[in-house]
Amino acid sequence: MLSGPEKAYCAALLALKQKNYGAAVEHFESAAHHYRGNREFGILLETTRLLVAVKEQLARPMNHERLDIEEVFPNG
Amino acid sequence: MSRRESLESLESLLESFLERVVQLKEQRLSVLEGINRLDDIARQSSAGVDVTDRVGDWFAGHNRWLTDNSLRTADIERINSILSQFKDRLRPGPGSSPAEDKIHKEIDRWGQTGQKVSQTLVLKRGPEARGPVDTADKDTIALFDRKLTRLTAVFKDACHGKQHILSVAEDLLRAAKVQGNKDALILSAFVIYYLKQNGYKVEPYVKKLREAETIQGRGTLDA
Repeated sequence: MLSGPEKAYCAALLALKQKNYGAAVEHFESAAHHYRGNREFGILLETTRLLVAVKEQLARPMNHERLDIEEVFPNG
Repeated sequence: MSRRESLESLESLLESFLERVVQLKEQRLSVLEGINRLDDIARQSSAGVDVTDRVGDWFAGHNRWLTDNSLRTADIERINSILSQFKDRLRPGPGSSPAEDKIHKEIDRWGQTGQKVSQTLVLKRGPEARGPVDTADKDTIALFDRKLTRLTAVFKDACHGKQHILSVAEDLLRAAKVQGNKDALILSAFVIYYLKQNGYKVEPYVKKLREAETIQGRGTLDA
């Protein structure tokens, strides 16, 4: 029988085919330990992660062209 | 370009990359999907579910794999390993249903395919190839990839000023024979096979290839 990571990799590729990128990342991540060191797997995982992150950013309202990060020190 | 435009451009680029990866892997993906489906059926069977019809459907949908060369040896071994589990659970003999008998025969047919492949695709490496560079030799895919890159460069050089692929083949064969150029020898064999596939008469080129090969072989033995 196929191992869990193998099934996850397969599911991730199918999710990519269906353009379900969020699901693809989840499947890739569950197989990541098994495929550590596999360059193709790594590229696919990181590209899909980046795409999901970009989509998340685009889904947010962008009123500001610049993002200010303010550090707050309590009792400081 | 605004931040939003940059992100949209990046999104489009990444999506395009992943789409092309999926396109390139289309056939492989179909094989993986099929094996995964068979594996799911096997798991249901292990849980005591009668999967006879599902296995039958799987055969109906995937029998073309036996003839269209889409399977690797490892795939066939994996499929046969899963199918042998089904076979163990099928009732043999007079008590079995026609559907079970049919599946039994199909499993045997797939098993024979696996045997054929394992008999014909055994590649052995001669002892003379072993040497102190054993660790570097392990990544055969990378080595072949580098060779392919080098052959492409050799091909481009050989094409310079030529009007026809036959002239390129002539030039490569000459380099293989006179200069003992191994890249030219491999490339000329590749070109000759390409010409053969496209209906050219290649016998004279094959003869020259053999001559070059013999000369190079003699050179290796002498060295």
